[in-house]
Parts: sequence; C-alpha cells; structure tokens
Amino acid sequence: MSQITVESVSQSIYENLLTTLIQDIVSRTTTEEQLLRARYNQSLSPYYYEKSGALDIHGNPKQQDSSVYVHCDRCNRDVSANRFAAHVERCLTRGRR
Amino acid sequence: MTSSDSRSLELKAQIQQYLVQSGNYEIISSKLTQMLLEDGWMDEVKRLTNEEIKSNDSTNFTQILAKVEPQALEMVSDSTRNNVINQIRQFLGEIVDTE
Ligand SMILES: [Zn+2]
Repeated sequence: MSQITVESVSQSIYENLLTTLIQDIVSRTTTEEQLLRARYNQSLSPYYYEKSGALDIHGNPKQQDSSVYVHCDRCNRDVSANRFAAHVERCLTRGRR
Repeated sequence: MTSSDSRSLELKAQIQQYLVQSGNYEIISSKLTQMLLEDGWMDEVKRLTNEEIKSNDSTNFTQILAKVEPQALEMVSDSTRNNVINQIRQFLGEIVDTE
C-alpha cells in the first residue's frame, strides 16, 4: 500500500482548502473584469496614478476653487465657489431684515 | 491507478467526510480564511490576478488560474501554513489509528 500518513493527508486537506480559495478569488476577479470589458469596451482605462500625488484620478492638476463660479438661484448671480457659503448666509437673510 | 492508490484516495475521502460531519472542517476552513485575510494574502492574490489578466490580455479563467495558482500557493506565510497544518494533524490524530 502506498504511503498514506497523517502527514500526507493533512498536507492534501490543506492544499484542497487553499486551491479552493484561489479558484474562488480568480473566478470572481476574471468574471468582474469580463463584465467591465463587456460593458465599457474601448472607453475602459484604469484610474490615473502618479507617485507624487499631484494629479487626480483623471490625470488633472488640482483646480483652484477661486476660479470656479457657482450660480446662486436666489439672487441670480455667479459667486466664487470658495465664497459661496458666506454669500448664501447673507443672501438668504437679506429679505428678512 | 493501482488498487492501493484508489484505496488511499478512498481513505482520504472518508477522513474528509468525517471532518465535515464533525464540524471540524468548517473550523479549519474559517481559521485558514481568517489568517490569510489578516496576512494580506487575499488582497495580494487578487492584485496578482489583475496583473496576470493585464499582462496576458486575457480574462480566461483556466489560463489565468494556471498562472496564479502556483504563485499564490507559494505566497502563504510559513506561520499560517504550519499553524493550519498542525490543526488538521491534531484533528486527524483524534480519529486515526497510527502505528
Ligand atoms: Zn445670492
């Protein structure tokens, strides 16, 4: 009879468990990727990554908040984004004084 | 396959079945999963899988598994491996006659 020991059976049970786990991870990852490729085809590109951390996930530098304007629906004016909260505080209380 | 091979396969199947029925298989399986998760092994295997998908430009399960499996088996830390095998050995010691 071929050598079958507690050692060899333990080893084979351990390998069964491990290969099952690996197959599970690989199957989920490949299926996920297949789905992404089928859904987004050509337009699918990975998020941009840069070590220095200067650029965002689209590869763009940080935009200055002061250069962005938000439209205020109450007074119909464009307000600089980094001053919008202060503007709203004044704008919304104006009529109640 | 010789008759002794099939005999030993049968014995392994019986032992495995006993471990499942006694609830010990579940204990070993959750312990292994827990340890591999804490080691970061799970995330590492997932990262490796994505890497192989990219470098082979394939999402074919069989093809990717053949690349990933041998590496993933090697990546298990010695402490996790020994710990789990010891636990299995201990359960086996309770049910198997050794001479
Ligand atoms: Zn306003």
